[in-house]
Amino acid sequence: MKKLTIMLATVAGLAISAGSAAADSTLKMVEVITSPPRTEFLKKQIAEFETANPGVKVELISLPWGQAFEKFLTMVQAGDTPDIVEMPERWMGLYANNAQLEDLGPYMAKWDDAKTLGDRAKQFGSTVNNTQFMIPYGYYVNALFWNKKLFKEAGLDGPPATLDDFIADSKKISALPGKYGYCLRGGPGAFNGMHMFMNIAAGKGGYFNEDGTSTINDEGSVKGLQMLADMYKDGLAPKDAVSWGFNETVTGFYSGTCAMLNQDPDALLGIADKMSADDFAVAPLPVGPSGKSYPTLGYAGWAMFANSQHKDDAWKLMATLLAPKDNLEWAKEVGVVPIHNGADQDPHFKTEQFKGWFTELSDTSKYEMVTPPTHLENLGNFVDQVAIKNFQEVLLGQKTAKEAADAWATFLTKEQQDWLAKNKK
Amino acid sequence: MTYAVSEIRSAGKPRRKRLSHAAIEPWLYLSPAIILLVVVLLVPLVIGISYSFRKFSAFKSEYVGLGQYEAMLSDQVLGQALVNTLWWTVASLFFQFFLGLGLALLLDKPFRGRKAVQALVFLPWAVPSFLSGLTWAWLFNPIIGPLPHWLFALGLKAEPTNVLSDPSTAMWGPIIANIWFGIPFFAITLLAALKSIPSELHEAAAIDGASPWQRFTKVTLPFLAPTIAITVMLRTIWIATFADLIFVMTEGGPAGSTNTVPVYIYVSAFKSLDKGYASAVAVLLLVLLIAYAIALIGIRRTLVRHV
Repeated sequence: MKKLTIMLATVAGLAISAGSAAADSTLKMVEVITSPPRTEFLKKQIAEFETANPGVKVELISLPWGQAFEKFLTMVQAGDTPDIVEMPERWMGLYANNAQLEDLGPYMAKWDDAKTLGDRAKQFGSTVNNTQFMIPYGYYVNALFWNKKLFKEAGLDGPPATLDDFIADSKKISALPGKYGYCLRGGPGAFNGMHMFMNIAAGKGGYFNEDGTSTINDEGSVKGLQMLADMYKDGLAPKDAVSWGFNETVTGFYSGTCAMLNQDPDALLGIADKMSADDFAVAPLPVGPSGKSYPTLGYAGWAMFANSQHKDDAWKLMATLLAPKDNLEWAKEVGVVPIHNGADQDPHFKTEQFKGWFTELSDTSKYEMVTPPTHLENLGNFVDQVAIKNFQEVLLGQKTAKEAADAWATFLTKEQQDWLAKNKK
Repeated sequence: MTYAVSEIRSAGKPRRKRLSHAAIEPWLYLSPAIILLVVVLLVPLVIGISYSFRKFSAFKSEYVGLGQYEAMLSDQVLGQALVNTLWWTVASLFFQFFLGLGLALLLDKPFRGRKAVQALVFLPWAVPSFLSGLTWAWLFNPIIGPLPHWLFALGLKAEPTNVLSDPSTAMWGPIIANIWFGIPFFAITLLAALKSIPSELHEAAAIDGASPWQRFTKVTLPFLAPTIAITVMLRTIWIATFADLIFVMTEGGPAGSTNTVPVYIYVSAFKSLDKGYASAVAVLLLVLLIAYAIALIGIRRTLVRHV
């Protein structure tokens, strides 16, 4: 079964660069957040690398994101590990805690481009045991897409600045026939948006207190969750949104069904294709009662497997992909905020559409970035399965916000305190 | 086999050697098939069952005895999944069977263009389930799909919303997709069985003054009964263990309202990474389906005798 899965995965996603000349070393590389144009782009960057490094061949395996987690894990369990893997932040705990990944610190120490690398790349790539197990290639920062046309129709002239405005504007827009204020995401991937509004309402970012107890069931957090449930119940979001994932929310936004969407720059690719740049913009997220906002910052990057037989070549490839020039092109292609300092001066990022994200990233007094607790091994299942099911139950009125938040807090507190106990230095 | 046994009974001592040959011989002929069955069926089954006594995390596992089975007893999600599985299986099977039977009876009569119609109605069977799941999911989506608007126009729905996002109706989405997907199977098998009924029987019954209904119940059905029994049994097991459509369309949501046992097994094994628990649930499903198969074979025996 394992073999079969791997075979299918490989057959489905195998992309071997043309030419079968005997190479001195072949690097195996897996990408997991896959889309066809993105794969093409990555292949182009790899081809440039191969030209510059004769004797090194790269075999790229592309897994579709929907099944990437289990497919990749099955590969690793079967001992079929790649040299380099694209590492989403939420998998870090799993692979790094199980001694699968190479410490990239020594490589970075000798890397020329480390000079321009933003501090966040070092910070976020070393969340497990303070060791640089991955280097992010960019950040997915949440900001608020808003539909200018619908706002105008509802008699509004700009995006909401506060949480109260956000609800008031949603009400006004939802009064239009067949329109809704907020493109709520209740299905796959719902956790980030939900948790973000809980943080904003609470006026406190993050997941835990110092002692490892979870903040997810603080009074303010529960209020934020209740707010989303009330919005759904009062028809400020479409009825179907309870099961919406990424594609549905983006479709809902560009089709003009709902007027506000909290999303990362990668949603801009699809939306900019379907909407004219005059009809929508991206604003920073609304602030809560504390006057601050807590955008979710997600990220993914490249990591090396500890059992790689070609570590130097693997690092060469990573260094190429993460070099300022390649990283800037890559960020434009996949819709992330680039990792090297000074990228915001590039004309591509100086548009009204990107303004929301860079405002959030630069104004640290008002916007506090929240990253998932990637050091926890069982985080993936909680975020992708348990929490989403409970969130839907809250939206549908089958559970109270308090009940759900308490259950999450119990789980998160236990995980965090176990981890703290294990990692007491 | 019986031959060999009777020979053993009547055998004297001097002939024992030859007889042991006679006893072994059929097994030798059967050995390729038996080895194949053991390797592809029995070994994985035993490994799977042994997994259910362990607790797995991504890279480790430990023996926990009956711990996984104890956990099952207090698992509310599993309880809901069992009810959902029953509902999903019975509803899908009922409509697939009767619509399939109707289609087979229609296609049994000659008419112009029958070949083309036949090819067309068997098409859903050939579409990969993943693709049908996606297509149906989009059809039910009010932003791009027509179905909610049609239901609204017909007055069947108060507003054009997605049936998949309302827990009280969500199960109907995959069920409808599954009915569409499964009708051809019954149509094909029952049509083949219909074709094998000698036409003289129908003619004789007609001459004896039997009404069409009587001919259907007294001639057609008894001839179809064995095929019906075996296809219904197979199909039930297939539907009960069929997770693709539900997983693609709803992932078991919203709020677990379409979570069936196979979906739950998949999620437990590959998302929660708890292969041990997934195996324990799979063992439960296996036991239930075996019990069902035994019951159905029993019913079939009495029916056949009755007929």
